[in-house]
Amino acid sequence: MNILEAKNIKKNFGGVVALSGASLTCHEGRITGLLGANGSGKSTLSKIIAGAYAPDAGEIVYLGKTVHYKNPYEAKRHGIGMVYQNLSLVPELTVWQNIVLGDERNHGYFLDDDSAREKSIHIIKKLWPKLNIEGRVYELTPGEMQVVEIAKAVSRNPKLLILDEPTAALEEAQVASLFKLMRELAATGVAIIFTSHRLWEVVEICDDLTIFRNGENVAEMDFSKDEKNLQKIIFYITGSQEEAGIAKTCAETCGDVRLSIRNLNLGATLKDISFDLKKGEILGIGGLAGQGQQELMLALAGNFRKVACEAEIDGQPIRLTKPSNAIKHGIMLVPGDRQLEGLFSAHSVFSNLIFPKIGLEKNFVIPHGKLRKECEQIVGILALKTAGLDVPVSTLSGGNQQKVVIGKWLGLETNVLLLSDPAKGIDIGAKNDLYSYIIGEARSKGMSVILYASDSKELIEYCDRLLIMYEGTVVSTLDTEEITEENIIRASMCIEDE
Amino acid sequence: MRRKNMKKGKHTFKEFTSKPEFSSLLILLVMFTLTAILQNNFFEIKSIMRNINAFAPLILVTMGQAVVMISGGIDLSSGTALSLLSCVLTSIMKKNDPITGLYAMIIALAVAVLLGLINGFGVGYLRIPSIILTFATSFIWLGIALFLRPTPGGESVPWFAIFYNFGSLKDVSGFFGTLGGFLPPSLILILIGCLIWWVISKTKTGRYIYAVGGNSESAYESGINTAKTQIIAYIINAIFIYLATLFFVGQTGSGDARMGDPLTLRSVAAAVVGGIALSGGRGNVYFALVGALILSFVNKIIFFANIPYAYQTLVGGVIVIVAIAISQAYISYSTKTKEIKIG
Repeated sequence: MNILEAKNIKKNFGGVVALSGASLTCHEGRITGLLGANGSGKSTLSKIIAGAYAPDAGEIVYLGKTVHYKNPYEAKRHGIGMVYQNLSLVPELTVWQNIVLGDERNHGYFLDDDSAREKSIHIIKKLWPKLNIEGRVYELTPGEMQVVEIAKAVSRNPKLLILDEPTAALEEAQVASLFKLMRELAATGVAIIFTSHRLWEVVEICDDLTIFRNGENVAEMDFSKDEKNLQKIIFYITGSQEEAGIAKTCAETCGDVRLSIRNLNLGATLKDISFDLKKGEILGIGGLAGQGQQELMLALAGNFRKVACEAEIDGQPIRLTKPSNAIKHGIMLVPGDRQLEGLFSAHSVFSNLIFPKIGLEKNFVIPHGKLRKECEQIVGILALKTAGLDVPVSTLSGGNQQKVVIGKWLGLETNVLLLSDPAKGIDIGAKNDLYSYIIGEARSKGMSVILYASDSKELIEYCDRLLIMYEGTVVSTLDTEEITEENIIRASMCIEDE
Repeated sequence: MRRKNMKKGKHTFKEFTSKPEFSSLLILLVMFTLTAILQNNFFEIKSIMRNINAFAPLILVTMGQAVVMISGGIDLSSGTALSLLSCVLTSIMKKNDPITGLYAMIIALAVAVLLGLINGFGVGYLRIPSIILTFATSFIWLGIALFLRPTPGGESVPWFAIFYNFGSLKDVSGFFGTLGGFLPPSLILILIGCLIWWVISKTKTGRYIYAVGGNSESAYESGINTAKTQIIAYIINAIFIYLATLFFVGQTGSGDARMGDPLTLRSVAAAVVGGIALSGGRGNVYFALVGALILSFVNKIIFFANIPYAYQTLVGGVIVIVAIAISQAYISYSTKTKEIKIG
């Protein structure tokens, strides 16, 4: 039975066409994957179905009736639950208070907290049993927050559940339990819409697949009949037959040592980390999620005052205790979480792009003309989809916002570029553009790169050398020819060679 | 440690010490000890009662301020609201007609609710930033108060003094007389205030006040009527101010359009010292009471330190800054250590 049918939906934002005739069908008890490049309209369609936006044209048929929901709350009452990419949690409340927020039950005159706790434990147990439901949300990691967000949507017993990029923030184990829960829900008849930039995830979990390009559908697949052909799917997404990723140009000799780190320690988080980074080298940092990789990146960028370490850049000793020290020596961090760090979302694309540059500008007056030209170039390099330099960043799609975070640091004198999961929430096409630009800079200008990626395929593809971290320390180093999926997993889990 | 402790509502001592409330309690203990050393008769029933009476108005106004601050706002009109209510009360009461006291109480309560409603409506529905709106309304309240009572004065029915002292009435039976010997009515007003908040904190409204203050967009997305919640927060605040006014008028028997002025900023400072976040969503209304006690003890200590009057206000201001800085430093210290532990 069809739970939902969206027919020929159109939607414009200002002058930008987001949807130019998109259709989607969801069936009872089936998981429908939604794929497409950044700005292809996946999030927009999801939000229209969930009642957050009103469509300009088209029809939505839900449970056999044409519906026009005015707000997300109305849609939610009728059983359409959506997990947003931008988290909608109240950080000051506890996990269980967030899960039942807006759906509290009374026991007599007072709140029935016991049943709310029970309900929360019931769902959290399936998703991430380690999570303490009494903890406040601001204490959680991004992955745990996403778990709470999912639990909140699931607790309303939706008939249609929309998961918009739920896995971007999750660790691998959390993804596995989410998939298990999705199967369970589907078995009880819930229809699920699932979007993700990780192709193999979509292929693994989904029963149907709808692919968007430029605001309209280009393909529909039913995996019970059609075969799971990755090349074909990539072709539909990008519109051109292309290798899944660019070839690695490495193995050429890298230059002298650029950055040398000896005995880096930070409380109980990072222990005795030492490594050398050569000029023009791309050094990967891998391992299981949450083993101190992100903290190491932050520490290298000078974000922790209490870090203890002997660091040298081009033979000169530096102190990594202040971000301004690091920036002065050309160590730039591109943060992974665009929601928390890195963006002033109410400001324009232009002012976001120039922030680090005017910080280093020596002139008393800001040279606007010169900076505008530079920014236009950056927009071109990254294929940033925006209505102009002066629109607020918050109007861009998630992937394009991430491009702005990266664009901020382009064009600066960069010696060491720290990339902390830069491709989170970016589609394949943009990911290739981005990495080929960065690799080009590294090879031609001798810029050194340290790359942390939660997706090990990115590490395999782009890194010259790979450090594997486990519980805050480097447990092994893989050279170019050793970097394979199997070796990474072996090293990550500390499996000794037999 | 935190994760293993799954039992509901149970907290370890270590967890408690890492909360900002703990620093408030420590500061209170220090102030309490200092005052006890400086004031010779500190532990006599009479001076305990006198201290409670002196502290009560700030405690009540601070608790109301805390509710508004948790909802993400601030009330810069609470002092003038108190003045206005005192003028309303004393304009209606006739000295020789005891029943007018009751009328005055009911009408003043209605006025208090109306003041809260206006502030809440402006913040919730008109979307005016609370700091600007309540600053503006404070002048409106002051204007009305001056219109009602250009100079301090006015009439009060004799029985109104029970809000200050049970023993003050000669014609009431002996029971109140004995009660007045050791139980100050201001303490009962504070307990009524605590009871009101206790009931509210057990309902959806209480939860929603925290949710709206913590992240109003998320709260709205979860189907909470954020504007209504803000209005309720301001009305609760107004009721606390009303309770403080009853005490004031009971004490002085008159109204004054400027009597509440010093309370506004002191209540904000006291709430922050008590661990209520200016950014909203965080804090505990009962600890606002602790903050108010701290500031009150500070005042006493300045008084005993024999500082010339001209400097007392100055020193008082400096100490407020120091107290807030200490509690803020404590908060950022304890959250930082947590962040590192998570990794």
